[in-house]
Amino acid sequence: MVTSKKLLEVDFFFDPKPLTTKEKEMISEFIKTDKEKKSRLKKSREVRKQQQF
Amino acid sequence: MKNNPQYIDIEIDKLTNSIINVITGDNFQTVVSVLDNHDLKSVTKRNGWLFNWKSEFKLPDRDVYKLTIEGNPEVIQGLISITERKDHVYMHLIESAPFNLGQNKVYLGVPGNLVAFTCRLAFHRGFEGYVSFTSKSQLIEHYRKTLGAINIGGNLMVINTGSALRLIDKYFK
Repeated sequence: MVTSKKLLEVDFFFDPKPLTTKEKEMISEFIKTDKEKKSRLKKSREVRKQQQF
Repeated sequence: MKNNPQYIDIEIDKLTNSIINVITGDNFQTVVSVLDNHDLKSVTKRNGWLFNWKSEFKLPDRDVYKLTIEGNPEVIQGLISITERKDHVYMHLIESAPFNLGQNKVYLGVPGNLVAFTCRLAFHRGFEGYVSFTSKSQLIEHYRKTLGAINIGGNLMVINTGSALRLIDKYFK
């Protein structure tokens, strides 16, 4: 078992295996959804701000 | 399956920040720049590096950057290999210099600097700071805590705009 101390010593090594097309699509889909979520939050914040005034 | 790499015309970004000497606590200003042929002589397995950076350097879709201390460009503190994709920057590999690993490491902050540099690059390239990478299974939680990365399934991790901004703020004040 890897302890948290050992994990910190490992620092940052990523897995160098190449991404599959499916994995690339998964990343793009997540980014798209995350951007939409961010945009919705921004809009609702603006609406709330306007309502306060 | 064939990749569809996007080639980029990279400017050498010189980002000044710092790493900390573990023993003295002193801060040293650092610079991130593109790895060149001359550097390949020192980043070998014989010199204690774990990855084959020569092979990585030769891959046409990869950009390899080095972190050095300002005024001491010959000593590489860490390396990162990245690819610009259509909507984000993907990190393939990151490695601290052999003397910056484990309990006897000389400098703190090398990997964090390199990841923050990548996040900044992701903003400069118009990707709103989005960065992704594939983690070893046992390190997913570590990256979640230290980088604010989100596990999106399997071993895939994404650093979104908010986490990217936090990292940049931490390392590039």
